[in-house]
Amino acid sequence: MTTMICNTCGQKAAIRMRQHRLALCKDHYLEWIIDQTQRFIEKYDMFDRREQVLVAVSGGKDSLALWDVLWRLGYQTAGMYIHLGIARETEYSDLSEQYAREFAAERGLPLHIVNVEEEFGQTIPELAQVSRRGRSKPCAVCGLVKRHTMNRAARELGFDVLATAHNLDDEAAFLFGNVLGWNIRQLRRQAPYLPEKDGFARKVKPFCRFTERETAAYALLRGIDYIEDECPYAVGSKQIEYKNLLNQLEENQPGAKLRFMLGFLQAREDGFFPLEEIAEEDLDLRPCPSCGQPTTTGGLCSLCRLLENARAE
Amino acid sequence: MPVILILRRQEFQLEGTLSVKDALKQLNLSPESHLVVRDGELLTENDSLRNGETVKIISAISGGAS
Repeated sequence: MTTMICNTCGQKAAIRMRQHRLALCKDHYLEWIIDQTQRFIEKYDMFDRREQVLVAVSGGKDSLALWDVLWRLGYQTAGMYIHLGIARETEYSDLSEQYAREFAAERGLPLHIVNVEEEFGQTIPELAQVSRRGRSKPCAVCGLVKRHTMNRAARELGFDVLATAHNLDDEAAFLFGNVLGWNIRQLRRQAPYLPEKDGFARKVKPFCRFTERETAAYALLRGIDYIEDECPYAVGSKQIEYKNLLNQLEENQPGAKLRFMLGFLQAREDGFFPLEEIAEEDLDLRPCPSCGQPTTTGGLCSLCRLLENARAE
Repeated sequence: MPVILILRRQEFQLEGTLSVKDALKQLNLSPESHLVVRDGELLTENDSLRNGETVKIISAISGGAS
């Protein structure tokens, strides 16, 4: 087979991205990721260099790569790590925290840490046991706790925006799941940019157009150390099943994931998922009487209800 | 001496000189969610793997709750 060459300089390529018909060497790939991230930030008007960005980091490749790129682009960033208390025997959460801490220390960046067990009295797997939807798999409870904690931290610590490292595979899999169940409410809320309102921090996803393979390649080529082990609860999750299906499609139809996602965003822009309807739903938002975070339940928010159940057990 | 491929803590062995693309295919791993690395160097699907060498496979896929 012929050696693939970089489309920019003609040197040996490190990666080929079939959906972009582009092969790049290490140096030009690292440059490309940084340039593209800046392009996405501007395209979706996510934030500017005067604003304070809180980056949600898990110790994994996507979030540390995102933090690295934003730091290199000169944005004002701090990290936010949530210790979930997962897999004490394999020290999954402890190790993840260590990678996040080392990354921050090497670059002299501030890192905020919340320990779920210290904050809520129980770890994620323990909290999941008291939840109807979390007994078999704690992923839904984990998502709930993370969203709640990140939103609260962004607001209480005075950040302008919360950046998460959701990538194209995450977004396409989430979209696929929501289309499969025609979950219109969730579809309306899926976007690379969600504005700040009614107690919710502004949320952005600067990596939403990169595949997981591309973010992993960035972390590898940049020499970022990250936790390679997968969360033990992710095995067999629906999201991974959807990702595998979409990757099978991508193998035969390069660009299928990107077209799926961009087609949806275009449909949103064309008014198929009207933002006014979100605004109507948001009229019902009230602060949770316990934690003060916005909720539509009319009483305790989902997390406070979960914590109340946990205390009652 | 076969090609040794390491994915997380699992070791696979494949015989003969073969491309990265063929190696992933034989292991039933999607090239859309895996990277192959030799001595820190990222390989493209056209690169050849030779008998006796050891390479690392990196799984790019992750997830649980979104």
